[in-house]
Amino acid sequence: MTPFDGWTVPVDAGALLGEERAESAGGAVSYPVLSSDGMRGLCECLRSSREALVSRAVRDIAASLGAVGARFGSAGDPLREEALSLLPRTAGVSPPMAELVLDGMARDWTVPRLLEVLEAEFADPCVLDTFQAGAKGSFRALGPPLTLHIGAGTVPGVSVTSLIRALLVKSAVLVKPGLGDVVLPNLYLRGLQEHDPEIAAAAAALYWPGGGSSTSDGEAAALAEADAVIVYGGDDTICDVRSRTPASARIVVYHHRLSLGLVGVEALVCEVMARETVSSVARAVATFDQRGCVSPHLVYVEQGGVVSPAGLAGLLAEALEALERELPSGSTTPEEASAIHQVRGATELRIAAREDVAMYSGGEAQWTVIYEPEPDFKPSCLNRVVRVAPIRSLMEVVPHLASVRRHLQTVAVLGAGEQQAELHEALARAGVLRITGFDDAPWPPPWWHHDGMGPLTTLVRWIDAEG
Amino acid sequence: MSQAAEFADLSGELAGVFSKGVDASWPEMAFDDLALRSFAYQFSTNPVYQGFARGRGVSPEAVGSWQDIPAVPASGFKAVRLVSGDPGSVERVFRTSGTTVGTERGEHHVLDLELYRASLLPNFSANLVLGDADVRLLSLIPTPAELPDSSLSYMIGCVANHDAFGRAEFFVDAGGRIDHLALRNALARAEASEEPVLLVGTAFALVHWMDAMDDGAWAFRLPAGSRLMETGGFKGRSRTLSRKELYAALTQRLGVPTGMIVNEYGMTELLSQFYEPVIREGSDPGLTERRLVGPPWVRTRVLDPVTLSPLPDGSPGLLCHLDLANLGSVCGVLTEDMGVIVDDGFRVLGRSTTAEPRGCSLAMDELMSATSLNHEVRP
Repeated sequence: MTPFDGWTVPVDAGALLGEERAESAGGAVSYPVLSSDGMRGLCECLRSSREALVSRAVRDIAASLGAVGARFGSAGDPLREEALSLLPRTAGVSPPMAELVLDGMARDWTVPRLLEVLEAEFADPCVLDTFQAGAKGSFRALGPPLTLHIGAGTVPGVSVTSLIRALLVKSAVLVKPGLGDVVLPNLYLRGLQEHDPEIAAAAAALYWPGGGSSTSDGEAAALAEADAVIVYGGDDTICDVRSRTPASARIVVYHHRLSLGLVGVEALVCEVMARETVSSVARAVATFDQRGCVSPHLVYVEQGGVVSPAGLAGLLAEALEALERELPSGSTTPEEASAIHQVRGATELRIAAREDVAMYSGGEAQWTVIYEPEPDFKPSCLNRVVRVAPIRSLMEVVPHLASVRRHLQTVAVLGAGEQQAELHEALARAGVLRITGFDDAPWPPPWWHHDGMGPLTTLVRWIDAEG
Repeated sequence: MSQAAEFADLSGELAGVFSKGVDASWPEMAFDDLALRSFAYQFSTNPVYQGFARGRGVSPEAVGSWQDIPAVPASGFKAVRLVSGDPGSVERVFRTSGTTVGTERGEHHVLDLELYRASLLPNFSANLVLGDADVRLLSLIPTPAELPDSSLSYMIGCVANHDAFGRAEFFVDAGGRIDHLALRNALARAEASEEPVLLVGTAFALVHWMDAMDDGAWAFRLPAGSRLMETGGFKGRSRTLSRKELYAALTQRLGVPTGMIVNEYGMTELLSQFYEPVIREGSDPGLTERRLVGPPWVRTRVLDPVTLSPLPDGSPGLLCHLDLANLGSVCGVLTEDMGVIVDDGFRVLGRSTTAEPRGCSLAMDELMSATSLNHEVRP
């Protein structure tokens, strides 16, 4: 199959790319091999186009960005169709999952959602356009001249959201997506070039294999040129990028995150409700094949409902089996498949050792539910491998999260009843960043404080004019 | 026959055949016979393994060849205690490193250290020492007294104590600190003596040592016949060198040609090791063409990562070993390493990035990184 062209640069930067092309491991994506000079030239070109962006009104920018974003959610639009045809082989997701993910992501790229996030972040978004009078003096906010976005590639679409955020604060953008997320930022920028060439002139997407010993000269040049670096990835990647980012550049990190679920007895008061609860849990686990930072690794279930925690594990297995038909799993790498065998095999041994554990699995389908009474948080190997642990009361979960407190992100809660306020406070103190329901867990609202930070305010520089 | 007597009989028989050396011919039938008897023994004495095998629909009556014997996942050594025999008779527990927060350590409960020695000595000897009784052993791996739960330290301790291998010196303590002065003196003495040395160390220890010494002003010319055993790899840690770079640096600093540098591949979960047979065969096909070869009492297969069905030679998949030296635990072990069968051995293609860190190399690196911060080892 022809590899996808993993780069989109402004028209006048085309010549900087040179002739040399390489292919990603597996051959799904091809990309130009940039020298440090080529990369510096590209960064310069993006930065100079940013001047026009700064002069545009933020609402006008949002209107253009949203118009292109909406195309990805609009049935029959050629941009959406192309995305849907490319995602399964480039992102390792099944076609129905590609559709679900694109629907969810594209919702956030529409004009109303972009205005919503602007208004949530800035009392008056015009502060991005001109100085605004305050009680004392006036002030204005502006994004960095050039932001470099290094994506993780685990969930397709994340780097489009990242590039939209930067353009909203009038920053020129260079996106280096992760391998699993190359298609959407490129298609988005191709759409933007058609719709609003002036904005598109300040943005580029370019894949290259990044990090560590394979670091290219181009990557070093990009890190040196960027005024801010936004990096998504595992802790090792973050440390590596941080160590190579100049002290004067702002760095915004979205490191490895762990999410979990809590099911209280109030969500298990009758059989019908229990099944509905379980169906929501299964969907939260299966979405993104559990590769999202918002995907639950483990679900704690309160004892005392009509369905016991062990019983819920069985129901969850049935629900995941059913979802396998509606929303099939994507492909796994050999490493991911191996990790699942190790977890399943080790659990089989524990069962043989007569430990109080149970396991349900889909055979060659990846989904696996492990019931175990041991309540300490253990990360999953992902790809729909989820643990269920019993807990006497939801409040008792908190101490078990201590070992992972700096990696905690989303806690999906259902049926907390009267404990809710107290539980939220305890989770906040335990390090949790987001509390939501299972249905919403995969889809944070546009205004969410992503990993505890304002998605736009974390990018901008405030300029105060005193007196 | 009692369980203990049964173990002693079979263990003795295995040690006897191991002692014939790694070049002895092992027809498939001979291996099958020992493998099937070992499986029957493990099935009857290890209730956890029996339950695991039954869960997979396998029992000794249903097994026709060694390929049918169920392999436990390497991570099973973290989850349960795998002892085939009386747990009260365990002589030593070896542990995987797992020093990273949140990871559990795998435990290999060894019923009979004699069988471990019977496996490791002829293999080490064939691949690193050959007939040279006067080779002096210099070790960057701590002594077994320093690291009693490291199977690698135990192995080097055995080698050091064995009459055939001459004098041994150790230069790294349990805290990962290198005694630079003593090591430099030992290398200088060796250079002057014309007596070949065998230097053993983890890849990390070797890198840390060269980093610390790297003022550009030193290089030894170790006597002809000197050799090096490197083990452990880098496993994605911060300071990584390609193997080519590491070997080139070692050649430059020590005067040992690449053809005399051997990679050893071992795991706590297996009591037998694999070596690149470059010294043993007297020829080096080049680093990218090298293969790892185990002793004839280990058989290795490559399995499809998704279905776990056996793959034809040449296809990449998960390495799965059957090691008869594991009689006291479980012989069949499914690893997390990707590899490919090459002739009578295999090549490792890298390790799952999602897998937890394992092995001595990483532990040593963490210790050494910590020490270099505290003690300013770097120039």
